[in-house]
Amino acid sequence: MVLRLAVLANAVVLNVYRRDNFVHPTAGLLLVAVMVLWTAYAAWAYLAARRRTWPLLVADLAVAVGVLVATPAVKGDGFSATVPGFWVMGALLAWAVVWRWRGGLAAGVLLGVVDLAIRRDVSQSHYGNAFLLVLGGLIIGFLGESLRYLAAERDAAQRSAAAAAERARLARAVHDGVLQTLALVQRRGHELGGDAAELGRLAGEQEARLRSLIRDQDAVADARRAGTLDLAAELARLDRRPGVSVAGPGEPVVLPAEVVTELVAAVAACLDNVAAHVGPDAPAWVLLEALPDRVEVSVRDEGPGIPGGRLESAVAEGRLGVSGSVRGRVADLGGTATLHTGASGTEWELVVPRGPR
Amino acid sequence: MSETPIRVMVVDDHPMWRDAVERDLQGAGFEVVGVASTGAEALARFPACRPHVVVLDLQIPPPTGVEVTAQVLRQDPSARVLILSASGEQQDVLDAVKAGATGYLVKSASRTELIDAVRRVAGGDTVYTPGLAGLVLGEFRRIKDEPDPTPRGPDGPPSELTDRETEVLKMVAKGMSYKQIAERLVLSHRTVQNHVQNTLRKLQMHNRVELTRYAIAQGLDDGEQPAGAGEDRP
Repeated sequence: MVLRLAVLANAVVLNVYRRDNFVHPTAGLLLVAVMVLWTAYAAWAYLAARRRTWPLLVADLAVAVGVLVATPAVKGDGFSATVPGFWVMGALLAWAVVWRWRGGLAAGVLLGVVDLAIRRDVSQSHYGNAFLLVLGGLIIGFLGESLRYLAAERDAAQRSAAAAAERARLARAVHDGVLQTLALVQRRGHELGGDAAELGRLAGEQEARLRSLIRDQDAVADARRAGTLDLAAELARLDRRPGVSVAGPGEPVVLPAEVVTELVAAVAACLDNVAAHVGPDAPAWVLLEALPDRVEVSVRDEGPGIPGGRLESAVAEGRLGVSGSVRGRVADLGGTATLHTGASGTEWELVVPRGPR
Repeated sequence: MSETPIRVMVVDDHPMWRDAVERDLQGAGFEVVGVASTGAEALARFPACRPHVVVLDLQIPPPTGVEVTAQVLRQDPSARVLILSASGEQQDVLDAVKAGATGYLVKSASRTELIDAVRRVAGGDTVYTPGLAGLVLGEFRRIKDEPDPTPRGPDGPPSELTDRETEVLKMVAKGMSYKQIAERLVLSHRTVQNHVQNTLRKLQMHNRVELTRYAIAQGLDDGEQPAGAGEDRP
């Protein structure tokens, strides 16, 4: 509508400016008045979608053609500029927007042909203007079509995102209920003892598994750059092991995939070692800390400790074991693995530098 | 040690779970003064019940456990909130702790752990799981990395942990008991407790400062451009 008003203003000003070109000034004034009135009407009519029907569009184009055709009558045969000038653009755009490139092409061709037909002599620039009209109609039509397509696509994407979010919300509610029930069975089972205790143990295992599944899913939901993994989510998987508890920041710790894989493998080796030397269900704690320049992972158990020199003698005997899978892996990543061990337990501290983020 | 039993309120939308917790608490000598299955019920019954400790599930019908925590503590700052959560949604737990909850347990915790936790929370102690300690550590790292950290003005609370506090918190996150930490660092049990409590207090303080700053920023915006303010309101 703004465009319509702008081209109308342009046409009115030009016609007033060159009013001495009119052979019949009164008829010319009338013609301009028709344009003003039609523009006002069209501005109102096009506002509501239900009024944007073919009679309005045909009428719009007919008025534009009519004003064009009337030009020779009011300006004389030798006119250089038509009365409406660029004003015909309004009808052309309406056709292009509503009927896409076909409408734009049809309106453009019609206006172009009429424009050329009413002139006594056709100059290069007249032809150029007519050609631009046709081309403009086509392009606007195409743009309208692809915009509409994009909008439809966007609506579909928004709908499916909303559906996915709703699914996730429902899943969360269901999971929560299941987790509650499993936790309850676990507790009551332990208290009742006997077969119920076994039931309780199973419920506990399932609870831990479901919990880590949910966590995995959350990690997947966060789409990440290719070639990277979330160390926090990968480590959190380890608490599926009996006795293992994993603590870390609430936020993803995104690192190159190979660093994450190696670091998780090193931590898993530490935990294997706990299971082998302290007990299969022995408690162990994993803590991940993400600092700006490095990540620190510690693995602690409350076992009897590793006797001094055992790791070294194992290496000397050709068994790489913990040294290879923990120290070697971390060293390959440019980090350090420190072992603190004593009567009250063993703690591995793995520190790996973070590259520039 | 005290003659009057500890008054507890249990908020959970699962009746079976609620009953089990209620039974366990009563069996241990606590007085369950009220139960609720939604946030709205909890807030409506809290003023009449006047519990010392609210044992609160985070996933309840609205208002959420986090909002209930904030509201309850605004009404009675001497009350304590112990979060008992099934799924352990990390952000929810962290939000509840920022809102003032001083204890957190997962529902798979045993009966003895629950009873011990209620007793400790009622006594003003904080009950951390290693998981929560890890989250709080991560939160302080995040606060430290923020481009615009809360300024440590003369009145502003320090929003950073001391080295000792960080050390203690790390040990909690590694699954060490207060007793083990006290032995390792050659401190008294009480001192370790104080360090742990300080970490939560600082986190809650930081949260309050953030909220106030946010409120002031919003208020100033509204005051300066009363006409156009509607456009950039979230």
